Amino acid sequence: MKDMNEQLSAIVDNELIDEQLINELLINKDKQDQFSRYHLIGDVIRGDVADQFLDIDISQQVMAKIKQQDTNDFVVVDEPPKKIAQQTENNNNVISFVKRFGQYAIAASVAGVVVLTSLMTSEPTIDNNSGLEVLKTVPFGGANPVSLQANKKQSQQDAKEHNERLEALLNDHQLQLQAQP
Amino acid sequence: MKLRLYFSTLVAALLVFISSGAFALQSTEAVAAKIEKKEGLTAIEYLQLMQTAYKNSNYEILYLNNLKNTAEPKQLIHGVINQEEIAYFRYLNGVMRESLQYRGKISYFEQGSQAYTLQSTQNQSVFANIANFDYDKGDAFYDYIILGKGRIAGKTAMAIRMISKDQYRYSYIVWIDTDSYLPLRLDTLNNANIILEQIMVVSLQVSGKINPWLESLSHQQLPELINFSQTSNHQASLWKVGWLPTGFRVVKDDQHKLVMYQNEPVSYIMLNDGIVSVSVYIAAKKIALENKQKIIQRGATVLYTYQKNNFEINVIGEIPVATAKRLIESISMVK
Repeated sequence: MKDMNEQLSAIVDNELIDEQLINELLINKDKQDQFSRYHLIGDVIRGDVADQFLDIDISQQVMAKIKQQDTNDFVVVDEPPKKIAQQTENNNNVISFVKRFGQYAIAASVAGVVVLTSLMTSEPTIDNNSGLEVLKTVPFGGANPVSLQANKKQSQQDAKEHNERLEALLNDHQLQLQAQP
Repeated sequence: MKLRLYFSTLVAALLVFISSGAFALQSTEAVAAKIEKKEGLTAIEYLQLMQTAYKNSNYEILYLNNLKNTAEPKQLIHGVINQEEIAYFRYLNGVMRESLQYRGKISYFEQGSQAYTLQSTQNQSVFANIANFDYDKGDAFYDYIILGKGRIAGKTAMAIRMISKDQYRYSYIVWIDTDSYLPLRLDTLNNANIILEQIMVVSLQVSGKINPWLESLSHQQLPELINFSQTSNHQASLWKVGWLPTGFRVVKDDQHKLVMYQNEPVSYIMLNDGIVSVSVYIAAKKIALENKQKIIQRGATVLYTYQKNNFEINVIGEIPVATAKRLIESISMVK
């Protein structure tokens, strides 16, 4: 069982594509639940949950869920796992990022992908005393305590939007470099 | 018996040693024969030889871009066809990302996206900024100093330091192959001598003739050309920069739309000192920040945001924070 869980976890991380396991996933409801939970855990770690439940206080939601632990209704299990897998792909920052900016972004990404990836993984600063934001590329860089996310939602949303604009500026900067006189 | 065994291994070892030595000798001779070796060059002469070699040789390099704790492996194949440069570039890890630059056009190919071409007369390859720099002119704001010999990518290299004469730009150390004069390593340093960014060649191959595969690429039909200048109205920005660090000049001044961000109109000024280009964006403030200013730094690149009244200024480029700050302070509207 534990081994099976590990394999599930690997699928979530796109590390393992085992047809047999996927077939089992398609028929076994317990496995589907497990699979969805792993996805949720992954999303929480990456700090993506804020995007999914845009205006919902997550901490309260979590408390509510703990109370009625038996029911698993907060994860979508009706959908076949394959679709879930697709959803995660869409949640992946990199892919949505490229789609959002269309073809021009690629020129920039080839030229200046280093700067871009750094911004993608960056989260708005919370305790910003010095006014200096140094970006990291550590995978968990974006994860903030759940309560913090809930409190600072508005300013975070603003900062996130602002960062999007900065990304666009960086892209434009790269494009301008190409067309330099 | 024991002695005999010992003797035979010794002979075998010796044979291996000789043959490998001969190979090494052959390959270095082949390269050295083409380029006349010069002794006692000055720092600026080394740099200028590097420029010529980078533009006029046929070579292939594998290199790493080191930034903080990450390294990105990349490849560049360069050749010359009828005195025209052709350069193929790709990322070696992850999604396929390639570019081909030839005859004033650069094409981008990325896995899963439509390929396209842009007009670009400037060389966009890795060492292009130091290869295109006017070192005689640059004498006014850099000191060139020979640091000594080192070894990079298995080759003897001469390290040359370009020290900025003021605190408004970064300094560099360039390692140049003493055989081919091609650049092997470039460090970008701040004035505390901390390496901000590093480009490190790990393999260099120079050949007399152009790589046949690269030559075949030159006949390839290019993807659709995208005319980027259409987003600009070709009018001056209505803003001016009151202060420029020595050596910098305004190379672009226009108003254009951010194609990647809701077609937002921005006023744009580009500054250049021959090595780095700095973009200045002035636009209406849309999202008010908690702090008036925000500084993002990664490697040598700084992104300085400053909000004042109802507009926002952004400065992007490989310059120290102090330079970005002073630039922003000097920006005013054209009367």
